[in-house]
Amino acid sequence: MGLVATETSPPRLRRPPLAGQGAVRRKKIRSRRTGRSVGFLFILPALLFIFVFMLYPLVSSGYMSLTEYNFVYDDDPTFVGLDNYVSAFEDPQFVTSLTNTFVFGFFFFIILIVASLSIALFLFQKIRFNSFYRSAVFVPLVVPLSLAGLVFLWILQPNYGLLNYLLGDVFNLPFLVQPWLSQSDTAMGSIIALSLWATIGFETILFLAGLQSIDPDTLEAAELDGARGFKKIFYILLPNLRETYILTATWGILHALKVFVEPMVMTDGGPGTSTLVLYQQVYLTAFTYFDMGYASAMGYILGLIILVLIVLNFLFLRKAGDKNA
Amino acid sequence: MVRGSIFSRLWIHGVLLLLAIVFLAPLVYILLNSFKSADEIFQVPQSFLPKEWTLENYAAVAESRFAEYFANTFIITIVSVTLVVVLSSLAGYGFAKLPFRGANILLLAIVGTLTVPLVILLVPMFLLENELGLLNTNLGLILPNVAVALPFAILIMRATFMAIPHEIEESATMDGAGVFARWWRIMLPMARNGIVLVTIITSYNVWGEYTLAKTLAIDPPAMPLSVGLTLLKGEVWQYGVLAAVIVLATLPPIIVFIAFQRHIVAGIAQGAVKG
Repeated sequence: MGLVATETSPPRLRRPPLAGQGAVRRKKIRSRRTGRSVGFLFILPALLFIFVFMLYPLVSSGYMSLTEYNFVYDDDPTFVGLDNYVSAFEDPQFVTSLTNTFVFGFFFFIILIVASLSIALFLFQKIRFNSFYRSAVFVPLVVPLSLAGLVFLWILQPNYGLLNYLLGDVFNLPFLVQPWLSQSDTAMGSIIALSLWATIGFETILFLAGLQSIDPDTLEAAELDGARGFKKIFYILLPNLRETYILTATWGILHALKVFVEPMVMTDGGPGTSTLVLYQQVYLTAFTYFDMGYASAMGYILGLIILVLIVLNFLFLRKAGDKNA
Repeated sequence: MVRGSIFSRLWIHGVLLLLAIVFLAPLVYILLNSFKSADEIFQVPQSFLPKEWTLENYAAVAESRFAEYFANTFIITIVSVTLVVVLSSLAGYGFAKLPFRGANILLLAIVGTLTVPLVILLVPMFLLENELGLLNTNLGLILPNVAVALPFAILIMRATFMAIPHEIEESATMDGAGVFARWWRIMLPMARNGIVLVTIITSYNVWGEYTLAKTLAIDPPAMPLSVGLTLLKGEVWQYGVLAAVIVLATLPPIIVFIAFQRHIVAGIAQGAVKG
């Protein structure tokens, strides 16, 4: 570092703003001085954490997915090739959990995108109390999901829960009163409802950011041409959100397929296996049955499904965008 | 921007108000129930407002196991957030201002981890922590929480440092400050916005984290709130206390959110785009 001082001590003078050559030379000095490895040293501590608790587990579980390893009975993993992957698709429990995940994901995803886009369009209007409405929609984001699950559990409780009380006693619609979590369909619906409650705020933020980044001149020109109300929405706002769709759909897919806390807290996968999702099935296989090799294989299948859907979504929306452009 | 008629405005207000009620109802419901006595909670038909406001549920919190869960959550959150802020400010600066060979590939790998479902990593994490004796300890939750929070935090800090003009740093170089001194004295204070954002977002994520805790803290005394409270869902007798704890556990994040809303919302939008 002593070298540094001699190199940099003379030019204390202010540099003229347009000294192109000087800037280049300066840069060279800087990069030689700091060296190529200093940047790496700054990243190293964070990298250690990410390596030990993310990259290493990712590789390790990839290997384990090719082995038979019961944590309780086996001393060491036994290599079995792709057996786990093959037997997964012959395992009715796995197939059920995969189907449930897709059923959940389908309804969750569609409602999520439509609802958050609509809410964002409402919040995009300049009206009074806008910031109150925004707070109300965004606030579930910061509520711990498992605790929100407990609150929903309480609300849906058949005898002293809020929902049945409102339906039966306040609105006088007794035929709508249900034992929400003990019937397959309504249990799945309840889980979707909690997920939506927790996620819509996040997606709305993304859609709002997209709307706000639309060029104000475009908007103004459209309004001068008489684009109002629905016309403005369908011809100006929605077509200009192309990049936002890629983003919101990606996060939507991630949220949909990673659903876990909601059924864990609210239904334990029940009644029967009607709300058992894939993430939960991986978790239970690993930590209730301790069948770690098989669990890793199912986890990898889940990861691959997510990856494929995200890539397909990206390619599909980008292509659709090119056609429009 | 839109100058609609009074009718269309009323219509918008109506829809938004209904939405606000739906989104806020669960929180208001649990808040009101936390002030009800046990009898009133199970009363049929119920009343929305407590007939007699009582603080007995809150008084009971201190004596229950909840206090232990609270302490765990608190320690885990404070230490994890501190580590994430320090490590992501270092790494973000490295990526933004100190280019080195392979930096782009590393960054890509870090971004890639954002799409990996945590469940894939749980088995090796569990085996590793079992080997090291970290299961059922606060440290055993802090370390993976930091790792999981880091990628997003690094992206935010990288974007923050990139936005700081080169000239500012170069004038410090002229003064002969070393690279570490420049980071500490010049760059960190200028990256305050990014640091605040990382602090807040990481706090939320760690405070409510469920999956890691469910896997790595199996004994009740080691559990944080997010998992410990769910053990009680079958036990009817403590519902009022449960409501009080849920209120205490959700109030701090909500207050912080309301105070920093604009900042947080802008940051989420920015971070999600970059991610």
